[in-house]
Amino acid sequence: MKRSTLYSMLVTVVICAAPLLVAAPKVGQAAPDFRATASNGKTFRLSDYRGKYIVLEWHNNGCPYVGKHYKSGNMQRLQKEWTGRNVVWFTIISSAPGKQGYVTASEENEYLAKMQAAPTAALLDPTGEIGHLYDAKTSPHMVVINPQAVVIYDGAIDDKPTTDLSDIAGATNYVNLALEQAMAGKQVETPATRPYGCSVKYSGSTH
Amino acid sequence: MKGWEPSNVFSATLAFLVALLPCAAGAQASGSPIPHGSLELIAENQWISIGHPFYLGLHFQLERGWHIYWVNPGDSGEPPRVTWQLPPGLSPGMIEWPAPRRLGTSSIVDFGYEDAVTLIVPVHAQGSLAAQPLANLGAEIRVLVCREVCIPGKTQLSLSLPVKSRPPAPEMRTRELFAAARKDLPRAVPQNWEFSVDDAKDSFVLAANLGTQITQVIFFPLAEAQIDNSAPQTLQPLDSGFQLTLRKSDRLLKPVDRLKGVLVLSGNRAYLIDAPVSKRGAQKRGSIGGIQEIQSSKEGPQK
Repeated sequence: MKRSTLYSMLVTVVICAAPLLVAAPKVGQAAPDFRATASNGKTFRLSDYRGKYIVLEWHNNGCPYVGKHYKSGNMQRLQKEWTGRNVVWFTIISSAPGKQGYVTASEENEYLAKMQAAPTAALLDPTGEIGHLYDAKTSPHMVVINPQAVVIYDGAIDDKPTTDLSDIAGATNYVNLALEQAMAGKQVETPATRPYGCSVKYSGSTH
Repeated sequence: MKGWEPSNVFSATLAFLVALLPCAAGAQASGSPIPHGSLELIAENQWISIGHPFYLGLHFQLERGWHIYWVNPGDSGEPPRVTWQLPPGLSPGMIEWPAPRRLGTSSIVDFGYEDAVTLIVPVHAQGSLAAQPLANLGAEIRVLVCREVCIPGKTQLSLSLPVKSRPPAPEMRTRELFAAARKDLPRAVPQNWEFSVDDAKDSFVLAANLGTQITQVIFFPLAEAQIDNSAPQTLQPLDSGFQLTLRKSDRLLKPVDRLKGVLVLSGNRAYLIDAPVSKRGAQKRGSIGGIQEIQSSKEGPQK
């Protein structure tokens, strides 16, 4: 046996603790199903909406990147426009209890009313189960699912990864593009990007 | 005897410490506040010398536990951004980013700096620059500072320096900061090192022939969404180098031609690599893809 092979067998160094090796859905693959309780008390199951376009929006009301899209009214405009066009829009909160962005149902309902937000529902995911299922990295992290329940977009809300409200006007919105192109029967030109924002505040997260 | 009662000893000690405060503050008087830290615009030389290379530095000091980001921030966050306000005849170059650290251990891993870091920026002093008693150099910085939560900050920095036609003289106060920052800059790989990258379905396998066994390596990708930042990087030390398996990002949908990034070996030796990627089997493992040098960092202060 070659010495190098022996060394290889003896020493395998791993530089960090093994993370949760979630097999996140890639664009073009089936959107994993989930069931969740919304802030309005209703239970929602993703697969009940097969046949419709669905947008998933990861949310954390204390994150400055989320603040950029809510204080400007950008997120609410998107929610109103697309739910008005028969798209299902789920805002998902995966912050663990005690972490930034964690809210009770009534706190979220107050927030939705105050911000005049208009998602189909705000889903509470304090265990992070849905977040990990989709490997949600940041708030806002956006996923678009087509009527065949296939992920057609996964990534950032737009191409300006900043907290500046003034950047929204000139930004290319990837969620709009994906929905418009898919609805027109076209290929989604930019199906995956690096999601930007604050890290999702999962239980056990340290930064 | 009254003066030595414990409470008075305490008061005296306190008074002494308070007296020291201005001194401590004086040492960093020109730092501007940023969220959970301070930021100072520093110069390597006492004056700007016409026709000579010149370096500015953005010196960040952060409270314990807080961090800022590398040029590729990783899974979340964003790097500091600078808008320069320089007099005509001075043109800023790109930030020279020291090797970062991995931040976080769970499903979200970022790349950045904790405690203190100096980002060096080369400035070209053109011949058209006129000698003047004081030139004002300004920079507007936007920076995201995070611990568990993130706070965006924006600050205006300034520095006034004479412009002279005489050769440069080092600024003693900032000398160590620049020296420390240069030590952490990734450098060009030695000529005799060889790298190749195999595209193996779910991962990239980086093979390196360095003529010596390597037992500690971390790879930091320059491109976003190319490798899975939080996945373990599996190292196989080889007689004359190593093989490092890097899991691809789930958001990588197109083939990659080249793998570019910073390799940090034991002893914090950082190197810039840019290796061609080939499909598995197309090339004999460990054979030479060759090293494409992208840019060499400046070694040591300018002469």
